[in-house]
Amino acid sequence: MSMENILEDEHFQLLAFLLTSARGCIDEPPIYGPLRLIDAADKLISIIVKKYGRELIELQEIGRKIEKARNLVLTNEEEFTKTLDELVRSLSKIIKKA
Amino acid sequence: MDLASIIKGRRSIRSFQGKEIPEEHLQAILEAGIWAPSGSNIQPWEFILINDPALIKKIKLLSPGLYGMPKILIILCMNKKRSERAGRQGPSLAIMDISMAAQNMMLMAYSLGIGSCPIASFNKPGLKELLDIPEEVDPVLMISLGYPSEWPHPPERRPLEEVVHVNVYGKHLRR
Repeated sequence: MSMENILEDEHFQLLAFLLTSARGCIDEPPIYGPLRLIDAADKLISIIVKKYGRELIELQEIGRKIEKARNLVLTNEEEFTKTLDELVRSLSKIIKKA
Repeated sequence: MDLASIIKGRRSIRSFQGKEIPEEHLQAILEAGIWAPSGSNIQPWEFILINDPALIKKIKLLSPGLYGMPKILIILCMNKKRSERAGRQGPSLAIMDISMAAQNMMLMAYSLGIGSCPIASFNKPGLKELLDIPEEVDPVLMISLGYPSEWPHPPERRPLEEVVHVNVYGKHLRR
């Protein structure tokens, strides 16, 4: 990996997202903080699934729940919070099972 | 399409098809922008048209609020030198003017079947560096354009009875 093609690297893309989000969150509505974090989590899931294969069904399921949460963030904060709780429960199940 | 349908039909689009936008439609969208109202006719706007997919990818890296892969980006900027002509109100008037230009563009886009999304969540110093934007010009809003993968359902709106006050504040509209 050279600096010339670093833009194609998904880790670099995540890095750029995290740094620009960190700066953005200082001025943006507080609810954008959780939104940026779940977007970052979604990008991380893509990286993990690409690296370890598509058999990580539970992880992909978390990705789908993130999509649901993203659609709720600006329209229904209560449902968004519930979906975040579901996400963490799904993650706990993975941790417990492993 | 009548104006009310255009206003009510426009959605923020965050997922795009790969289809190209015809040049004449793009011109129509940009032209709608310059016909927005402008305080003292200062027209404090500068529009940067981004049609290079490689550059759009780079801008995405600096823009956490930019979802999907649009065909076109329009960066709406405030020319601070021009806005100073409006005195101390200059910057806030300029934001209003640019917002109205953005709305004109997005409504024109929708009337042509093209989806758009206004984006304020991008890193301004980073974008200025990437696009060689001079000191006296500030990017304030970005519009993504492309044919939508889907048109989302409209979010709920606060009703007129709640929003509109008749003659005095607090006396709500009754229908």
